[in-house]
Amino acid sequence: MATVAAAERSESAITVVAPPRRAVPVGRLVLYLVLLISGVVAALPFFWMVFGSFKTGAEIRQIPPTFVPETWTLDNYRTILQDPELPLTTFYRNSLFVAVMNVITTLFMASLLGYIFAKYRFRGRQVMFWYLMALMMVPPSVLMIPNYLILSRLGLLNNLWGLVITVIVDPFAVFVMRQFIMALPDEQIESARIDGASEFRIYRTIVLPQVKPALATLGLLTFMFNWNAYLWPLIVLTQNDKRTIPVILSWYSTQHSAQLNLVMAAAVLMVVPVLVFFLFTQRWIVAGLTLSGGK
Amino acid sequence: MATDTGVATAPRPVPPAPPRRSSGGIEAPQRRFRWAVLSPTVLYLAFFTLLPLVWVFALSMFSYSPRREGAGIGGLGGDNPFVGLDNFKEMFNFSSQSLLTESFQNSVKITLLFAFIVLPLNLLITLPLAVMIESVARRLRPFLRTVFFMPVLASAVAVAVIWQYVLNPQYGLANAMIGKVTGSVTAISWLNDPNLTVFGIPIALLAVTFAYLWMDIGYNLVIFIAALQGIPKSLTEAADLDGANSFQRFRLVTLPLLKPTILLTSVLTMISSFQAFDLFQVMTLGGPDEQTRVLSLDIYENAFTFQAMGWAAAESLVLLAIVLAITLLQARLLRTKWSY
Repeated sequence: MATVAAAERSESAITVVAPPRRAVPVGRLVLYLVLLISGVVAALPFFWMVFGSFKTGAEIRQIPPTFVPETWTLDNYRTILQDPELPLTTFYRNSLFVAVMNVITTLFMASLLGYIFAKYRFRGRQVMFWYLMALMMVPPSVLMIPNYLILSRLGLLNNLWGLVITVIVDPFAVFVMRQFIMALPDEQIESARIDGASEFRIYRTIVLPQVKPALATLGLLTFMFNWNAYLWPLIVLTQNDKRTIPVILSWYSTQHSAQLNLVMAAAVLMVVPVLVFFLFTQRWIVAGLTLSGGK
Repeated sequence: MATDTGVATAPRPVPPAPPRRSSGGIEAPQRRFRWAVLSPTVLYLAFFTLLPLVWVFALSMFSYSPRREGAGIGGLGGDNPFVGLDNFKEMFNFSSQSLLTESFQNSVKITLLFAFIVLPLNLLITLPLAVMIESVARRLRPFLRTVFFMPVLASAVAVAVIWQYVLNPQYGLANAMIGKVTGSVTAISWLNDPNLTVFGIPIALLAVTFAYLWMDIGYNLVIFIAALQGIPKSLTEAADLDGANSFQRFRLVTLPLLKPTILLTSVLTMISSFQAFDLFQVMTLGGPDEQTRVLSLDIYENAFTFQAMGWAAAESLVLLAIVLAITLLQARLLRTKWSY
């Protein structure tokens, strides 16, 4: 602590001095080597999956195993794509439906509620806001049993709407939207009001355009979270034709645990397309994750 | 309570200044809009959050199975009898012969063990890694970050399926690499051998821990990188000028400044590892010999495989209590240690 304070005190003196030279070359070399090795180790399992998906059934059972396939084959992919038990388009459609619907409802409700919590003063505002914040701390396992019973009474088990209706108000998204909207100037909103704009119009034409980056980030996070979700879809969706991709991948890998080449091809087909999308958008995903420090 | 907040109709105190033409006229649309948004929200929250919370507390005091008809509200009653706090008493009865109790106590033990292995390992990997990545050439950083962050983007099920193949005793990468190094054929049954332990920790739990860390480190990594970027350059440069070597600079300047971030990520890492489910469900399903049966898995199986929902609800409340305790502890620590 004392050192930091000392460093802070000398801060003003430093800015005029040229930056000093950094670590010695040998240290740099070790640094790069360590990073290279750990990077390779981190990437290995992905390569193992991709290479495995191109191996023949005989090669994948070879002892000791090969890393890069000796004979490359597309048969695994053909088998997966032609498997009548595994209609990939159906699963993609299911996953897409749940993820997109949740993005829409979450963003709509979070921006509306964020606007109200940020710019309105009314009785019960604090209580309601803190209730939402407290909800963030409740583990999903706590709500899943009663929510399952509620869905079963509503007849929404094995129904994709069941995965949408239970998460319409996302407390974390409300919190983020409130933070962003609080930073918007009140004068703009006030003058629009005096000009006779309706409240919804103010929300739509003044508030929403200014929080677009936050909406994009939250939308991506919500999409990713729902796309990858496993526990709740596993409980709600009981038949394969209604299931989302993670649930199907888990089911398929159990069914075909002896044919790892097929399992890997299925994993590639179910994971890689969206993973590529996430990689291209990771800047915003990272921004969303670090902005909150919360999941 | 949240249910009566949105329907508050008391007149809003009118702000005294600046004087308006007719404040009531301006406020009426605001009140209408607030009502239009908040009343469905309150109804929604009451039905999908408050009701489940009440329900889970109620369930925990019954011996409830959805298979039985029951009586009264929500089938609570009749052949789903009220048992009061018996479920909780039974959970902490350490001489109980009941399989459910043994399974619960075992799963709490394993979850604690898992969480307390994950946390230090995670920090020991992510903190130095973040510092290292931040100290290499600027152009290399996004690439390195992406490599470690990619598993965060993949679904946990995919991670589990990949690691099952990596850890396969005959055809897996892990044993092949160990075989290469030691020069002998290795056939460690990472996920299935109940007798193999390291420092008394079952090998299967360690194997899942390893996959979990692989999946999870990218998350803390980007948070630490962001925190490192937030440290003013002048501070580290001042340390350099004072003749500190890079380790001293890290220990005396960077580390104290990162303290709040480390504390916060520790808590979040701990909370999420207490709730870990996906990898365990896919990779081991609790086996071998229940050595990887974590609390979330035990709750899930009791509720949805064995339909013992009263018991599972009580278990989930124990999980809630653990998570709340950690959160409150964190709030305390953050309040006292935040200043620098």
